[in-house]
Formats: sequence, structure tokens, C-alpha cells
Amino acid sequence: MDFDAIVVGSGITGGWAAKELTEAGLKVLMIERGRTIRHQIDYDTETKAPWDMPFRGRGDTERYLRDYPVQMLNRQFNEFTEGHFVNDAENPYTTAEGTDFTWFRSYQLGGRSLTWGRQSYRWSDYDFGANLRDGHGTDWPIRYADLAPWYDKVEDFIGVSGAHEGLAQLPDGHFQPPMALNVVEQHVREAIRARWPERCLTIGRTANLTEAKPDEGRTACQYRSICARGCSFGAYFSTQSSTLPAAQRTGRLTLVTDAAVSGLDFDPATRRVTAVRYMVSGQQHRATARLVFLNAGAFNSVHILLNSASEATPNGLANSSGVLGTHIMDHANTLSAVALMPGFEGHTTFGNRPNGVILARYRNMDRMDGDGHTRGYSFQGGALQGTWTAGKREAGIGLDYKQKLRHPGAWRMVLVGFADCVPRARNRLTLDRSRNDAAGLPLLHVEFAFGREEQAALTQAKRDADEMLTAAGGRVIMGFDQPGPGGTAIHEMGGARMGHDPATSVLNRWSQAHDAPNLFVTDGAQMSSSACQNPSLTYMALTARACAAAVGQLREGRI
Amino acid sequence: MMAADPGPDRRAFLSGAALLALALGVPIAALELSPGDSPSARQQAILREACALVIPRSDTPGAGDVGVADFVVLALAHGLEDSRKPLTAELAARYTADVRSDLSLLHLEWLEAELDRRSGGDFIRRRPEQRHALLAALDRAAFADAAPVHPWRTIKALILLGYYTSEAGGAVELRYVPVPGRWDPDLPQTPDTRAISNDWSAVDFG
Ligand SMILES: Cc1cc2nc3c(=O)[nH]c(=O)nc-3n(C[C@H](O)[C@H](O)[C@H](O)COP(=O)(O)OP(=O)(O)OC[C@H]3O[C@@H](n4cnc5c(N)ncnc54)[C@H](O)[C@@H]3O)c2cc1C
Ligand code: SF4
Repeated sequence: MDFDAIVVGSGITGGWAAKELTEAGLKVLMIERGRTIRHQIDYDTETKAPWDMPFRGRGDTERYLRDYPVQMLNRQFNEFTEGHFVNDAENPYTTAEGTDFTWFRSYQLGGRSLTWGRQSYRWSDYDFGANLRDGHGTDWPIRYADLAPWYDKVEDFIGVSGAHEGLAQLPDGHFQPPMALNVVEQHVREAIRARWPERCLTIGRTANLTEAKPDEGRTACQYRSICARGCSFGAYFSTQSSTLPAAQRTGRLTLVTDAAVSGLDFDPATRRVTAVRYMVSGQQHRATARLVFLNAGAFNSVHILLNSASEATPNGLANSSGVLGTHIMDHANTLSAVALMPGFEGHTTFGNRPNGVILARYRNMDRMDGDGHTRGYSFQGGALQGTWTAGKREAGIGLDYKQKLRHPGAWRMVLVGFADCVPRARNRLTLDRSRNDAAGLPLLHVEFAFGREEQAALTQAKRDADEMLTAAGGRVIMGFDQPGPGGTAIHEMGGARMGHDPATSVLNRWSQAHDAPNLFVTDGAQMSSSACQNPSLTYMALTARACAAAVGQLREGRI
Repeated sequence: MMAADPGPDRRAFLSGAALLALALGVPIAALELSPGDSPSARQQAILREACALVIPRSDTPGAGDVGVADFVVLALAHGLEDSRKPLTAELAARYTADVRSDLSLLHLEWLEAELDRRSGGDFIRRRPEQRHALLAALDRAAFADAAPVHPWRTIKALILLGYYTSEAGGAVELRYVPVPGRWDPDLPQTPDTRAISNDWSAVDFG
């Protein structure tokens, strides 16, 4: 054996797997398809001002339409951050007729840990119990209690700031001190609570440090809100700032970058994955290990398993159930309401808080009060002041106009709805055998549509958002009830779901393949339902938990 | 990202262009324009004047002082603010004289013709206060227009973008605070409070 374990991917979950496995004493190879980006050294645009950039930070639309037609649709994508997103033209995928799926990706050391929005929420038993309760999808083989200690561990290490609220649906964690709500958000929180005591608007729980972690070389956040460029203060959680240095400190990590995994070898006699195949500069390589962790991001991990079909596993590896690739999800996501918030003209703020607010789920908990849907929705957003960009929408030229744009503008409050996505068999990933990638492998093919449930949830969310902002004294100026295309929430997940039964699921309760006990899939592919809050903290907790299980089974000689 | 080797002829052109760019303070990409995107001297003069009229010099520099017109030319050639997006056939019919074959607008041709038309002759030769009044009238009409896009609204958006992302606009007219270091959730706002140009959520959503 070349290694004790191989970790595929270096993003949010791969970094965690590498840290946990090396710290447990294993010799680990981490394989990353993208380029190296060194912490602090390679954040090329971090300190640049708009006037230092050829297109003033906006970027070259013409080139983006050609090379980044999908990535450019995401708000974090701009001239400062374009190097942290994939070139769509070089990394194609195909979609079924009628499917509009925007797949936002970062292929580089650190993956999307560099570009993510850092919102970090625990899931609750409303989420882990959702499938059992309404019969969609398959029951999760775990509950909140299984994951709680792992959430503790992950929060302690990555650093999550947030406020304790005592909500069953959004459990409190081990938080650093919260960032403050701004004056308008504080008012809206109180106005909503006065009328709807069960609705809680609280500051976002975010993996940005409000207290330094000097032992790990991480400084407290400086309130710049340019995180996706990379942060030399190490003030937000990324692979580079946090898990990778921890793994490297053990001296047991080998890292290869610019190396795309093309497939896994499987021995049907022993039911083990025997090797990982990967390509470096057009050359095929092979590495062997006792354990393999797939952390390539939900869709890429499924892609690797589909591309690992063999005579013994004709429909893809770990797919004796036939459900591999099915039941993919993303939160149904839309701008539910924007309101002008009069009465705060004499107030402003200082600093760029890299965080917003969350209004926790309140529907379909102990009472089924969803209108045409059985799950939850929550809101994220915040209150902000306008600025010169508002001038684009107004008549005016000359000195008065310039003078007006000099000052912070009107306050407005934004609520973006995130609705639970029901797991459905027809939403699925397959191989497109008509087209190959650069390595000669069939492209990934996405078939996805939201259904009645998500539509109903967003319709109710819009109504509620309108009502709440109006009750808080706002004047709602717009709102939508149609979800953006699949992928908009950038919480794509599922495809290798966990379940009790090997006949209907890919992974067991330890994120371990039913068909290949030395194979673990601990990214978003393992998710059996979607909840309505951001998933990455849960992926991390599941990864840490799976690593402990894998190491335990290895020590006991069971794998 | 590096562009492919441009080859000897193009390289000679580029190095000449680079010198010119240095002299003008224009990003070099501005000079890599296909023939259809290079405005005439007169169109450039009109655009410069429009910049100065929208954001005039006050106690801080104006948009006419800091090369905003050059940025607008570059931005129009590269499609910022959706400026290269084809119009609907219906809208294109309104602008027949100034649309490309792909139905995208030739904004600077349009601006020249429109201001001359409103001047009943040569816009540039009008007195300054007349030029202001003519552009203000066009501006009012553009914002009263219900059509989803209007060439003046696009040009004006690019003038604002060019100005407030220039050092003069971003750090002299407004404040630029690259490392705030703290978060104050509620401060008094007075008539003297200047906006912070790197308040990104305000820029994106304001
Ligand atoms: C703009 C943005 C905002 C977001 N905001 C939030 C948020 O606020 N909260 C939240 O919870 N989530 C958020 N997300 C989602 C979050 O980033 C992902 O859920 C998370 O990164 C998934 O972790 P991962 O390890 O599974 O995948 P990734 O972080 O994507 O890492 C996967 C890695 O695997 C590599 N890889 C892929 N295929 C191969 C292969 N064949 N061989 C070798 N390597 C491979 C990739 O290059 C990449 O480095 C956001 C994402 C984006 C882009
Ligand atoms: S806001 Fe905080 S975490 Fe983000 S880049 Fe700035 S200092 Fe780093």
C-alpha cells in the first residue's frame, strides 16, 4: 500500500478529512485537480483597489460570457475573484432538456472553502426526521444527537461567531461572540418578535473569527468583506487558513495538485476499493491505500463513482442499489422581499460586516402550517444603505446629483428565501456518453427541476416576508416567488444518499459505502434531505465523524 | 491569465498602443478595440463632455478630469452593464441607425446623433449652460421612458461606474477604507457623512 488513506479533493470536506486522518496517525495522500494556492502568498488581488484593476473590479463581461457564462451569474464572482472559480468553457457539463442548472465551482487547492459565504448552521431533528415524517426520500439513519458532539468539535476548530437563541430548529453551538445586528436589523428583529413570538431573526452564524486564534496563526476579522479573494488574516475558515496547516503539521500529509481523479479500482472478491486513478499532465497515475475518502464536492464525487463502472459494477461503483446519482437537491432560492425602511435617516454604520442575518424556519414544525408543502423555509439577508449605484436608476446630472451621491443612501431591508428541496428520484446525475472531457471521460449530465412543494413554499415565503417587513414599518418595493435555476443557492447535494438499507441507499450511517466498506463519501453527495439552512457545517461534522469511524474500524481490523 | 502570443505585427501595434496608453493613462485593453468599437474624435469629445456634465468638478475632481470617458469606451466595447446585449427587435426598430447586425447598440454613435438632434445642430458648439440643459433634458426623458433599456441610462451607469471606481471618485470624493478593522452597527449620520466606496453590499444591492 502506498498510503493509509487517500482523500480526493481539498475543499471544505477534503481539508477536514485530511486533518482528522493525519491527526489520527494515518499516512494520507490528498489529490486535488486544481492548482496550488498558497495561504497569504497567492491571494493576488486581495489588497487591490478597483482602480488597480483593468475593468475596475467588474471584469470583462465579453470574456466572462465566453469563458465563465455560469460562474459569472454568482454574486461573489468578479474581477478580483475570477481566479477562484472554474472556467466553464474548459470544464463543461450537460443538462437535460428543460433543465436550467447553474453549477458554481472552484477547482483549486482549497476548493470552495476559499469562495464560500461562511454561513454555518446546525441542522436539527426537524431536518434529520423530515423524510420519515412526510415520506419523501429515504429516512436518515442518524439524528441530531449522533452529530451534536461533532458539530461542537468543528465549530471549536473553525471558529463560528453567532448568538445563542435556544431554537430547537436551529440549535445553538459553540460560538465565538456574535457580530452585532445593525440598527435597522435590530428594529426588524424586535418588530417581528412582537407580533410573531416564534419567529426569530438573528445575526448570521458565520465562520469569520470575532476572536483571534493565535495558536493557529489566525487573526480576528477586520471587516473588509472581500473574503472570496482570500484572506491573509486567516480570519475566515478555509482549507488554507485552517485544516491544511493542521494536516501538514503532522508530517503525514502528501499533497498533489493539478491531478484529477478519473476513477477508482474495485476488487469484487474482497469488496474493496484497491486504487485511485488520476491524471497529471495527460499521464495516468495510480495510488493505493487502505481507505479512500471522496470529497470532490457532491456532483464530482458522484461523477467519479459513475465513471468507475467496471465489469463487476456496470452501473457505477457502489451502485448495487441503482440510486447512485438520484435524489439530487439544491435549496429553492429567491429574493422574497426588498423594502425601503424609512425612519433611520440619521443612522449609519462603519465597517463591512462579512455577514448578514438569518430568520430561522418557523413553518411545519410542531404544527403543519405550510400552505401546500410539508417542509421548511428560512430567510437570509440584512439591512443596508444605498450608495452611488442607486444613481444609475435615477434622473439627475450635475452638482446636486453629485452631492447627493456623496452620502450613504436610503436604508433597505432584504429577505432572501431558502426553501427545503424535496428529494426526488427524477432529479439525477448521469453520464453523458455523447461527450467526453479532456481526459476522455464522459461528461456529467444534470437533470433537475423544482416541483410543487418548493413553489408552494416560496409563495408562502414571499407572503410572509412582505407581511413581516410591512409590520416593521417597511415599504416593500419588490419580491419574487419563483425559484432561481437549480444550483442558485450553491447548496447542490445528494446523489449518494445515506440510508438504512443497502438496497435503497449508497452509504450507511458512517458515510461508508454499503458496497465497499473502505470507501467513504463525506461531501454533500451523502445528504438524504436538504433542510433549509446552509449545509457545509453539517458536511464537516459528518466528515469528522466518518473519519473517527473509519479509523476505529481500521484499528479493529474490520476494513 | 496570459493571452496567447500576439505575433510580431500585433506585438508592434501593442507596444505602440502601450506607450499611448501610458501617455493617456488608459488601460491598454482600451486600445485593443475592433474597428467598430473605436469612437471618432468627435464622439470621444461628446462623451467627455457628457462625463463632465454628469459628475462635474466641485471641491473634488469630476468625471471629465479623470479619464472616465476612456473607461466608458472600454466598457462599451467589452459589454459592461449589458451594453453589448442585443435589443429586442421591437426596441431595435427605435434605434435602427445605431444598431449592429446582432441588434446591439452603438452607444456612442447614438449619443452623438441624439445630442446633435436635440441641439438642432452641433452639440459641442453650444454654450456650457445650454449643453447642461440639453443633456439634463435627455436624462429626464431617458428615465421617464418605460422601455427596459435605454442607451443613455446605460451610458450614464458606465459614467458613474467609471468615476466612483476611479481613485478620485472612490477615495477623494467618497471614502475608501480598505481595512476598517471594526464594525459599528449604529453611528449618527450627519450631512457631512461621506459614503464608503468599498461598502460592497451597498454597491451591489444599494
Ligand atoms: C459563493 C459561494 C457561497 C457559498 N456560501 C455558503 C455558505 O454560506 N454556507 C455554506 O454552508 N455553504 C456555502 N457554499 C457552499 C460550499 O462552498 C460547499 O458546500 C462546500 O465547499 C462543499 O465542500 P466540498 O468539500 O464538498 O467541496 P468543495 O469545497 O467544492 O471542494 C471540492 C474539491 O475537490 C476538487 N475536485 C473535484 N473533482 C475532483 C477530481 N475528479 N479529482 C480531484 N479533485 C477534484 C475540487 O477542485 C475542489 O477543490 C457556498 C459556495 C459558494 C461558491
Ligand atoms: S472580512 Fe474578515 S475574513 Fe473576510 S477578508 Fe476581511 S478580514 Fe478576512
